[in-house]
Amino acid sequence: MKLSKEIEEYLEILYRFKEKGKIAQTKELAKELKVSNASVSEMLRKLSEKGLVKHERYKGAELTKKGEELGKKVLRKHRLIEKFLTLLGVKKSRIHDEACVLEHAVSDDVEKALRNALWSSKNPEIKAENAKRAIDLKGGEKGKIVFIVGGTGVRRRLEDMGLTPGTMITIRRSSRFVGPIEICVRSSCLAIGRGIAEKVFVEVVK
Amino acid sequence: MRIALAGNANVGKSALFNQLTGLHQHMGNWPGKTIAKAEGKLNYKGTEIEVIDLPGIYSLTTFSMEELISREYIAKEKPDVVVNVVDASVLERNLFFTLQLIELERPMVIALNMIDIAEKKGIKVNAKKLSKELGVPVVPMIAIRGIGVKEVVEEAIKTSDKKTKGKKPKYRKNIEKAIGELSGIKIKHYPARWTALKLIEGDQKITKLADKKTVEIARKKSKGIKKKCGVDSSTAVTSDKYAVAEKIARECTAISKKERVPLGEKLDGILLHRIFGYFIMGLIALGVFYFIFSFGDFTSGHLDEFLYSLMPEYKGLLGVVASSVFEGIIAGLTVALPYLIPFFILLAVLEDSGYLARMAFLMDGVMHKIGLHGKAFIPLMLGYGCSVPGCLACRIMETDRERLIAGFVVTLVPCAARTVVILGLVGAFIGVEWAFLIYVFNLIVVFILGRIAFKALPGEPMGLIMEMPSYKMPTIKNVAKETWIRLQDFIVVAFPIIIVSTVLIKGIEIAGWMEQISGLLSPITVGWLGLPAIIGITLIFGILRKELTLIMLAALLGTSNFAEAMTPVQMITFTILVLFYIPCAATIATLYKEYGLKKAVGMTVFEIVFAVVLAGLVFRGLEYFGIF
Repeated sequence: MKLSKEIEEYLEILYRFKEKGKIAQTKELAKELKVSNASVSEMLRKLSEKGLVKHERYKGAELTKKGEELGKKVLRKHRLIEKFLTLLGVKKSRIHDEACVLEHAVSDDVEKALRNALWSSKNPEIKAENAKRAIDLKGGEKGKIVFIVGGTGVRRRLEDMGLTPGTMITIRRSSRFVGPIEICVRSSCLAIGRGIAEKVFVEVVK
Repeated sequence: MRIALAGNANVGKSALFNQLTGLHQHMGNWPGKTIAKAEGKLNYKGTEIEVIDLPGIYSLTTFSMEELISREYIAKEKPDVVVNVVDASVLERNLFFTLQLIELERPMVIALNMIDIAEKKGIKVNAKKLSKELGVPVVPMIAIRGIGVKEVVEEAIKTSDKKTKGKKPKYRKNIEKAIGELSGIKIKHYPARWTALKLIEGDQKITKLADKKTVEIARKKSKGIKKKCGVDSSTAVTSDKYAVAEKIARECTAISKKERVPLGEKLDGILLHRIFGYFIMGLIALGVFYFIFSFGDFTSGHLDEFLYSLMPEYKGLLGVVASSVFEGIIAGLTVALPYLIPFFILLAVLEDSGYLARMAFLMDGVMHKIGLHGKAFIPLMLGYGCSVPGCLACRIMETDRERLIAGFVVTLVPCAARTVVILGLVGAFIGVEWAFLIYVFNLIVVFILGRIAFKALPGEPMGLIMEMPSYKMPTIKNVAKETWIRLQDFIVVAFPIIIVSTVLIKGIEIAGWMEQISGLLSPITVGWLGLPAIIGITLIFGILRKELTLIMLAALLGTSNFAEAMTPVQMITFTILVLFYIPCAATIATLYKEYGLKKAVGMTVFEIVFAVVLAGLVFRGLEYFGIF
């Protein structure tokens, strides 16, 4: 589905709200997008007709499954371009706005190429679109290992304990701020320090 | 005939070793206990068998000392049979190591251990099928109860005759091709296929041994593999090996569903809880402290009364020197043993239950502050028992830097001997709360010094990767054994030293040298620290063993009522001094062995200076505030 720039912009912002776990109010959206309340209402109506948004009058707007997919993709491109612009040395204050313009012009193929070109061990999250750090998973969540960054020593040690790419792990215990996490892999339980759990990237499996 | 026991950490190698040899290799429920290979002998139906217990490892790469030791031992010393002890409840991960052993091409037997625990978890392993898949004999076993041990030995003897070697795992096509092309390379001791594989993986040690041209070819091959597979060649090899292990494990295990949440998981929910976990750990520490003190204080008092009541009876019968020897022994019995026994019992319980590893988990964050990670808490706790095993256990740390910081910190925590001084002097004569305060004070000092050591030796800690052992009910038999071994150490080593020292000190007293020797140290002991001059000489003996500082004092005073000789301020100053003033002789020797002369001397000198300065400051502080 080819979407207009404007629609993409709405989806992106709505996705940002969703990431934070919030439902967007018309007023808030108008402020973010620098448009009037009336045009926001108008657009939300259009989006819910397309089945991208669930809009309830006094509660606010929320993305549907389909809308979420699309919004996520726009935001992904946005963040990738921000990284790219940073690398090019574009002024920090300009980066966000520039990315907002460019994001709509980047096709999926270009996105992929950009991702591959930008990837390095310094910003590993670029490589896998949906990879999360193991440290960011909650207790009980399951994930498939995508890759491990960092020195050979740490990586090999983890691999020897069974954490090879493609392996399923279950987070048995996690804490948000301090202390190690505990994971189950290949029917054994391992305690993994925070520093190391930041280096293990997994794709969450529901 | 020689048998080597190899396998992952905490799978029961030492249990099997003890069953085989009747020796008492240290057992406990945490990964990494066996730090150096232990050797023993047994005679089975006329066959003399040497048994070697290798440290527990997960792989045969060269990223840790233990792995290298094990690999070189198997490849170079060529034991007749390698008995691979395997934890049946974690089959897949264990088989990954088994496959590596098979690749070293020694005759092998698999001892499938802990089948009872596996069954409790709903896992049943088909030993026959496993044997067929791997091409080596598999013997089910419950080592801790001695079940299947005889069969393992018989199978090992049979295998050493037949020289059965296992089925080596196959890798993805391009790796196999590369192995084929490199298989002509010969490096002494190592099998050809294994050598080729290690070259492809970029193994540092083997790469050094091979000639330049070969290394260049291997590098090209692994680059090609990386390009094609998208991961490092070593990752590809590991993944493939794990895939084989997974397939075999899947085919040989039957899993029956269990409905209930296992007790261990429920326990972990509380004991590793980010709030209650610490709370409970604090309570346990407090409980341990209180138990040791109250038991020790009670027994010590009664024993003292009893033994000294016998005094007049034998005093007349013996000469001056002999009676002073008796005084030394009495002091050893009444001052030291009552505190050591409960302490060793509790330490064994902590180790065996699996709680020690949980403590390491909880303390990870704190240990990072001194440049270490949670695992370092294990040597630290063992250091409360004795600095020597504490320092040795530092080998579970991954890098030299971490080993050094951990070793340094371990020498600073009060070992059992120093506990005798803290509890027997401060606890018994001033009050239990003061003894407790000294422990807290010690922890603060240890933390600060650890932090300084971390700043002086900068570098990121490796980070915690530790297998969590399952909880086990500590058996009375094992706890008693562990306690006895530690106690034996004290009795066999300490009592002769106590006796000789007592004779020496009496000799010095009779010869009238007391004042000269004490006088030498008196600028420090009397002038700076405000202690009685007589302390000087006990401090010298304390270098041998720390509890001697107190026991010699008792021998000199002719009583263990120390209140007669020291004021409370002096007692505390003395205790602080003894806490830090020098690692004992055995510890210095261990430091020398583990870290070399320079570092051992450095730590010793630092601790002497530090202790004198600190104790002097404490003395002045107590005087200034007029606390007593």
